[in-house]
Amino acid sequence: MGTEKFVEYERKRLNKIASLRLPNQFMIIGVMVVAISIITMMLRAFALEGDTQWLKLLLQKTLLVGLLLMSLSKDKIEDEMTIGLRSQSYAIAFIIGVIYALVMPYVEYGVSNVVHSGGESYKDLGDFQVLLFMLMIQLLFYHTLKRYR
Amino acid sequence: MQNTIKVERAILGITQDELAKKIGVSRQTINSIEANRYVPSTVLALKLSAIFNKPVNDFFRLTDQD
Repeated sequence: MGTEKFVEYERKRLNKIASLRLPNQFMIIGVMVVAISIITMMLRAFALEGDTQWLKLLLQKTLLVGLLLMSLSKDKIEDEMTIGLRSQSYAIAFIIGVIYALVMPYVEYGVSNVVHSGGESYKDLGDFQVLLFMLMIQLLFYHTLKRYR
Repeated sequence: MQNTIKVERAILGITQDELAKKIGVSRQTINSIEANRYVPSTVLALKLSAIFNKPVNDFFRLTDQD
């Protein structure tokens, strides 16, 4: 394979990855997965007894998968403007997510120590909390930008 | 960038929805273009040019800010 062909192949592959979108029906599937995950989380917290830590971890994953499906699914009419708005929302979610991950542990630590003297010790955010926040911000900004376009 | 797409659309006597369907975008996108909130790509501009049967320069104009 020549260099030019190889570069062209790589470019096409990168474009394909960058424009990865799921069909519109995945929005409904995503909403259902999110709803089932949240309902089951509530049941686990208030109704189930015993060691259900494994279920909590599983539901956190399914919640993230559901939100990801919602995030990746196309609109009914996907045009260049909605693609642009989607890109903007990902950029905003990334920036706000990084700021949240940097600032929030100090806020939690500060609040905890103000409320109870000698409160919680400093701890970083978990991956679930950061990813959930970023996906929620992305969806929120995308739909808000679309509404005000 | 300013445009006279609303005028061109009125000349053809078509609605935003009909124009949107002709060029494969949503009605809201046409609305945003007409309101100068969104500058379309070259591809979309050329599709509009084909619909209006006029060069792109006839209905898109650069402003002092551009």
